[in-house]
Amino acid sequence: MSAPNRSTIASMIAMVATALVAAAVQAQTPPDLTGSWERHRAPAGDPTNPPPETPPPLKGELLVEWQARAKLVREADARGEPIATGYTHCLPDGVPSMMSGPFPFEILQNGRQINITQEAYNQTRRIYLGREQVTLDDIEAGFYGHSVGEWHGDTLVVDTIGIKDYIRFRDTPHSRDMRIKERLRLVAPDILWDEITIEDPAMLEKPWTVTFAYKRMPGYDLIEYVCEDNREYADEDGVGRLRVTKPE
Amino acid sequence: MTRLRIAVAMVVLLAGPVAAWGHHSFAIFDHTQTVTLKGTVLSFQWTNPHGYIELDVDEGPKGVEHYTVELTSINMLRRAGWKSSDVSAGDEVTAVIAPLLNGEHGGLLLELKVPDGRTLTPPVPAIGTFKRTP
Repeated sequence: MSAPNRSTIASMIAMVATALVAAAVQAQTPPDLTGSWERHRAPAGDPTNPPPETPPPLKGELLVEWQARAKLVREADARGEPIATGYTHCLPDGVPSMMSGPFPFEILQNGRQINITQEAYNQTRRIYLGREQVTLDDIEAGFYGHSVGEWHGDTLVVDTIGIKDYIRFRDTPHSRDMRIKERLRLVAPDILWDEITIEDPAMLEKPWTVTFAYKRMPGYDLIEYVCEDNREYADEDGVGRLRVTKPE
Repeated sequence: MTRLRIAVAMVVLLAGPVAAWGHHSFAIFDHTQTVTLKGTVLSFQWTNPHGYIELDVDEGPKGVEHYTVELTSINMLRRAGWKSSDVSAGDEVTAVIAPLLNGEHGGLLLELKVPDGRTLTPPVPAIGTFKRTP
């Protein structure tokens, strides 16, 4: 057997070094995100502000329809006859809208699982760590889908599938195959970013990334929120109204 | 049903039952004028997604008129320092509201003076967009 030449040895060293670096990154203790958070909006130019939100890069006719719906919503508001929404029916936002606030949310973190509870509508999503993602055939679509995550150094990388078709972020239609990828990391000791990328080749021209920033709320305990008695209702035309009643 | 309403209803139908834009609209309330009501509280409903104050207002020759006053989410009220005990049945209060645009006796609470002399302000988002009038 001949001795390995120099280039083979160099390749082996490079592979080992790469593996060691990867292992070191994986072994890094992840930051503790446990606690309450709310949307963070710093003055313009502050580097903790994420990039501005962009509209969904919907394909051709889908974008035209999206813009037309947005126009109808604006016009209905201007007329004082807003189009009733899921909130009118006490329905929660689901993923990823629940990450947009404006209510606070709570992160509860351990080595196996991370729960995020949005105060509004008591919404909880569960992110399972160290698990393989399931397939769409394994689950039923829901408001929060199925999320798995892993730490890449100081960044929590989350993958979510299985969102119901009418649970829409920014009114953006999506296919059954939509995949939501998130990267959560601290950009300052008490400022967290969630970089949300929606991949849906059937509907979007390209992946769509929206980033939200949050700040810690030291000492704040989430308050329960049950949508108990909404006097606002949708009339027969789908217009949001307020039921004016005198108690008996 | 007007053509416009048919169009709106179609949008709701196509979009399904869930929020189009992820926000709660205050568009049913008049942003151009306020009404000040002095009346007696019948009840203070401490619930989500909105709190409500039921108010009887003596309008002189017209008699006693009833108003339903909507507040923001009670979680927002709580974070702003409100308590469910701030208002009770029987309290005489002065409420500044953005009235309903459709003319019904109701509105959105913008300010409330309670019997102990405090003036409470609910944390209405973009409250500055509601023009105050005498």
